[in-house]
Amino acid sequence: MSYRGSWRGIGLAVGMLAAMATAAEAQPVFKTNIIADPAMVDPITYSEIIAGRVMDKVYEGFSANTAEGKIVPALATEWKANDNATVWRFTLRKGVKMHSGREFTAKDVKYTFEQLLTPGNKAGLNSAYLSSVAGAKDMKDGKATELAGFTAVDSHTIEVRFNEPEVLFPIYPFYLMDSGTVAESGADWATKVSAGTGPFKFNSWKRGVEVKIDAHKDYWGGAPTIGGVQFLIVPAADTALSMYEAGELHFALLADSLARRIITDPKYKDQVVQAARAQINYLGMNQNLYAPFKDKRVREAVSLALDRPAMMKGLWGGTALPLNGQVTPGVAGYNPGLPELKYDPERAKKLLAEAGYPGGKGLPPIEIVSTEPSKDELAYYANQFKRVLGWDVSVKIAERATHIRQMNAGEVAFFPWGWTAGYPDAMYYLSQVWYSKSPYNRSRWSNAEFDKVIDKARTVSNADERYKLYNEAEKILMAEWGTAPLPILSNIALRKPNVKNVTMTPFGYSDFNKITIN
Amino acid sequence: MLSYALRRLLGLVPVLMAVVLLTFATNHMTPGDPVGTMLGDQSANVVLAAKLRAEYGLDQPLWTQFTGYVYGLAVGDFGLSYRFVGVKVTDVIWDGLKISPVLALAGTAVAVPLGLIVGVFAALRRNTLADTGVILALTAGISVPNFAMAAYLVYLFSIQLAVLPVAGWGTFSQAILPVGILAIAPAAYIARLSRTYMLEVLQQDYIRTARAKGLRERLVIYRHALRNTLVPLLTTIGIIFGGLLSGTFVIETVFNIPGLGRLAIQSIFARDYPVTMAIVLLFTGFYTLINLAVDLLYGIVDPRIRLGSR
Repeated sequence: MSYRGSWRGIGLAVGMLAAMATAAEAQPVFKTNIIADPAMVDPITYSEIIAGRVMDKVYEGFSANTAEGKIVPALATEWKANDNATVWRFTLRKGVKMHSGREFTAKDVKYTFEQLLTPGNKAGLNSAYLSSVAGAKDMKDGKATELAGFTAVDSHTIEVRFNEPEVLFPIYPFYLMDSGTVAESGADWATKVSAGTGPFKFNSWKRGVEVKIDAHKDYWGGAPTIGGVQFLIVPAADTALSMYEAGELHFALLADSLARRIITDPKYKDQVVQAARAQINYLGMNQNLYAPFKDKRVREAVSLALDRPAMMKGLWGGTALPLNGQVTPGVAGYNPGLPELKYDPERAKKLLAEAGYPGGKGLPPIEIVSTEPSKDELAYYANQFKRVLGWDVSVKIAERATHIRQMNAGEVAFFPWGWTAGYPDAMYYLSQVWYSKSPYNRSRWSNAEFDKVIDKARTVSNADERYKLYNEAEKILMAEWGTAPLPILSNIALRKPNVKNVTMTPFGYSDFNKITIN
Repeated sequence: MLSYALRRLLGLVPVLMAVVLLTFATNHMTPGDPVGTMLGDQSANVVLAAKLRAEYGLDQPLWTQFTGYVYGLAVGDFGLSYRFVGVKVTDVIWDGLKISPVLALAGTAVAVPLGLIVGVFAALRRNTLADTGVILALTAGISVPNFAMAAYLVYLFSIQLAVLPVAGWGTFSQAILPVGILAIAPAAYIARLSRTYMLEVLQQDYIRTARAKGLRERLVIYRHALRNTLVPLLTTIGIIFGGLLSGTFVIETVFNIPGLGRLAIQSIFARDYPVTMAIVLLFTGFYTLINLAVDLLYGIVDPRIRLGSR
């Protein structure tokens, strides 16, 4: 090629680059709302759901879960446990370019883990997932500065050792971060630069106004189709709806109060997006505090006395969906085959009579307790139990924090409550809410058989085999009427007709990578 | 006058101390626990709870917490926010501090002239149809709550006509609706007062004298009557400004303006005690300072009132 030719070539290249830059600018920014500021945008201190909505797009873990609740590889392409699941070996994805431009390697995983365990770092939720890693305790106590249980076999292979079987480690939603960022940008880096590998990079956070993230063109899964995302901070539900109406939002997350109105409004019929929440709901019946609950027939009668279709329609205006067990759809281990929970007042009465309380006679009065937003629900239960079972149930509204403290202490006899999954595996619900030794077993239901199945599941690293055990445990819980499952609520949003490829999942937003806005 | 101002400023100290004590007490005595709120679903995690409690000094006896807080205030340290991890209260408040006073000032700037014009107009047409019409409109302006007015105007201007943005802060068009709505009630109030004061002034002897010496009616009204109407209005304007400053909670929330009012509401719900207390203190400071400014202005506007200079 002659000199002239090469100059022309460069000119052409510059021209193309300029054209590409304009094209990039022209890519639309997706606008959506969050109800409050994130409490942080730092993957180490990360500890709450709103921060998660933003950071899910910026940071990634070993695996990801699809909208259907399927676990798929993300930053790890393969993982394998030893026989008793006390050692996991991960093959990290090659050629992952982080937001800094550096390549993601084993070093970054080690760094993230150690930061999560360093005392004084105010580490948040993700540090809990490391609690059984060998050497984690020493780090937390300040006795070690390196994580003993972590080995980098090579730049893209790591091994993690545990003090006990840890079958869920590959699915924990870690936010793995760039090990070079803090040294480069200082301790307050999180509001200035982006340290993730995800499809979007952090751009800026104007407190009280917005969080902006930009497309990461070099994302290993392909560059996002949009230029970026603007999360507008809108605490008032009605304001968010007005902004959506006026076209200031492409996608509006709706508060529950508003969702009920929107879902029945024909005007929004084609714009509503709905997904069952990854949150179980249940009626807690504490046998230690209310003797009649010791009788399985009474517990079954409680469940039979509830007209769930009527509740879904009347109390939640169509925003609730049925739940027949204690695992929600979209969470691994969900069993779609559980029998539907029936409303059968006759059988309920019969069971109660068999238990020695004909027409409710002999049942001591009881309080059903929850927080203020559930007051209509409580009124329904009280009325329904009186009408169907002849049982005197009074309603009590408690202050949220006090109520949670009392439930944790096992001091509330009868309450409707929920539990939101922190990771997409049924173990979260079953081991935390229904396992007898869990601090969150707020109704103190205890069943040796159930515990045994869960204990076993904790050692089975093969996912499909583990799911079978979940199903088994859930069946025991339901056969014993350990609880009366309640309908689950859904995440509801409005999506403009010109916006495609974005929806709600049980955990919040779906991927933003392929959104198109016309 | 200067010594009076100084004395009044000193008098602020016990007021602020009382407010510090009161807000500290109410914040800590209302049910609910900031650590519980921080923990969310992890509320039964006693280890994490104890760790957080220690990090934020919440494991100390109340009295120690209080003295620590007062000492911090004395050196200008409001502490760390409970909600924003590792962020200083002053940083959290600073953004709002750049907005709320502007909003209040703009509201007052619109309300005062508007109210005066309408009030004088009504006074001069006393007991005519126009006067009755104005009074009716004013009563409506005071009675309709501003959030209802906001909902209606947003629907009209932002959704139906699509000429103004629904929410936000930073551009002129974003300010029109919130400032306008904020100004309605105080404008109506000022109009009613100025109508009354104007009617009162018009009965005075010096007005009759002015008219008797053949002054043109316009001069009588603007030079003699209006000026004297302004004096009693001054206090009202001060109170209105103070009210607007601390009363933008609803408007800021509805129009999604990241000012102190919206921040206060969010902090209260998140049990972010340090931020809540700092905002309450700020508002108290503003309010007392405005009152002081009004008192001082009185001396300037009305020479009959001498402020402790004797």
